[in-house]
Amino acid sequence: MADRVFAGAILVIALLYTYIAFTVIKAPFQYDPLGPESWPKLLGIVASLCAIYLIVRPDVERLKADLGTLGRLAVVVVMLLAYGRLFEPLGFLVSTWVFCTAFGIMLGATPLKAFAFGAVTGTVGYFACTRLLELNLPAGLLNHIL
Amino acid sequence: MDAVITGLSAGFAVAFQPFNLSLVLIGCFAGTLIGALPGIGPINGVAILLPIAYGLGLPPESALILLAGIYYGAEYGGRISSILLNVPGDAGAVMTTLDGNPLAKRGEAGRALSLSAVASFFGGTFAVVLMSLSGPALASYAVTFSPSDYVALMVFAFASLASLVGSNSVKTLLAAVMGLMLASIGIDANTGVARYTFGIPDILAGIDFLVVVIGLFGMAELIHLVEQQVTGKLKPLALDKSFVSMKDLAFTKWTILRGSVIGFFIGILPGTGASVASAVAYGTEKRVAPNSENFGKGDIRGLAAPESANNAAAGGAMVPMLTLGIPGSGTTAILLGALLLFNVTPGPLMFEQRPEIAWGLIASMYIGNVALLVINLPLVGLFARLLTIPQQYLTPLIAVLAFIGVYSVVSNPHDLYMITLLGVFGWILRKLDFSLAPVILGFVLGGLFEDNLRRALSISGGDWSILVHSGNAIMLYVLAVVVVVVPIWLGRRKKKAAEA
Repeated sequence: MADRVFAGAILVIALLYTYIAFTVIKAPFQYDPLGPESWPKLLGIVASLCAIYLIVRPDVERLKADLGTLGRLAVVVVMLLAYGRLFEPLGFLVSTWVFCTAFGIMLGATPLKAFAFGAVTGTVGYFACTRLLELNLPAGLLNHIL
Repeated sequence: MDAVITGLSAGFAVAFQPFNLSLVLIGCFAGTLIGALPGIGPINGVAILLPIAYGLGLPPESALILLAGIYYGAEYGGRISSILLNVPGDAGAVMTTLDGNPLAKRGEAGRALSLSAVASFFGGTFAVVLMSLSGPALASYAVTFSPSDYVALMVFAFASLASLVGSNSVKTLLAAVMGLMLASIGIDANTGVARYTFGIPDILAGIDFLVVVIGLFGMAELIHLVEQQVTGKLKPLALDKSFVSMKDLAFTKWTILRGSVIGFFIGILPGTGASVASAVAYGTEKRVAPNSENFGKGDIRGLAAPESANNAAAGGAMVPMLTLGIPGSGTTAILLGALLLFNVTPGPLMFEQRPEIAWGLIASMYIGNVALLVINLPLVGLFARLLTIPQQYLTPLIAVLAFIGVYSVVSNPHDLYMITLLGVFGWILRKLDFSLAPVILGFVLGGLFEDNLRRALSISGGDWSILVHSGNAIMLYVLAVVVVVVPIWLGRRKKKAAEA
């Protein structure tokens, strides 16, 4: 069933992809016999055929993950998105501190240890990357101090 | 032969520059570290560290030397978590657990680790020697390839990918096509027409390679690690004082040689890396070795075979990448993408036009293999201690490294969401038994495949028969059919034998 749902979704995307290849993509002047649209047409057709095959003959029944695990994973994804959202405004040091603390606690570290771990990762990571390796990381909140 | 000697000496001149030499050592050390961490394999290590290596602004040969060091270092280190924890870092290390872990349980962990280090060293070095001997010849042959020959080569590459990688060929093929489709997004270089950009300016130049790699191999792995996180603690077996003896080595010398040969040649096949190589080497050894009833219970031959094979495969996979521009494994696909980021086009001309990269890399692999053996024999205790790092600290670090990498290179906050979403997508693919390596192979090869097809048809003025015009192309199509048909035939025969 899980296979069928996924293959169905892929089929929709592949058909849309093929449709666009046949209708939208056109060169104002054809330079080569194939042009920009033939390759996507070919890919879209192959992908659609594969997806149809998987709908007819699926081999993975279920996602094999219980609700509790899926919930935890959803929390992780939300945390990652939040980390991405706060990365620039808060700056690397602070956002990493917060993220590592929260993630560490979620994975079973004691709050104090997770807090210390976040502090070390944020501070050491920031200075090692910006000063030693000369990589570009946002300073954010601490713009005036760092 | 002369070309090999001049090339190698020039290569060693590059690799022995103090800066490059230190990068070899750092790469090997970091690679072993990453490989030793439970659940993380070479492809994840290279993916996570690629943007950082790129962001450092190294010259291309130095960056490649570093990344390649991480690659085969991680193949080396993977045995540590396999033997002591029974948790393989990636598919290529699965076979190592079969006999490695029983040995460690018997109190012979030291012997298992040192023997596998020697087997790995032999496999790795064997592959580099063959690479330096065959690389230039293969490259000068490949220079004669016309665009239509390249199309045939791609067809062969995807055929062997679909046939040999993963459990379901259609899924592998679909994964590769998804990679090709992702690669088609952006402005078409020949005509300037935008394809599938939907007016979003960020993707006019195409989807960023680094974002795809980090998403599929960094973030998806992270989500997978959280899912796998066991409530009970993983407890590594203790490291003891036992060590490999000359008798062990004499006993396994043919095993190691067979493993290396199998590994190298399977590694060369496009798309099939260490996982297929170590499985085939283990299976072969079990069949040909006398008194094989102890395989799976801690036979040292069952440990030596896959370990020599997976390191030889890592080297073998570099051969088509350097000479043809077609990667031999998922990880070399990432290395190939890295070269493209540096505006270096891998392929037959690289040996002539950029010898410092091709030969510098090969020379660095000789040094790296020796360095790995030297690091691994005495320091194995240090790496073993890493296994006790709790997952709750390790997992967040992967995310932090991925974010640093993407941000410092791309500097676009939207890409930070993008990698997370790609990670979720990659995780779903893995859950449904799709392999991820074909996606990245398709993504890396997409442009090359389409360009050659279009060029071939421009030459012929639209006549498709040009695709089967040359001997090279016909031979490659025949090989493609063979690589698809033979496994099916072997499977049928096995089934019949089982029924009879």
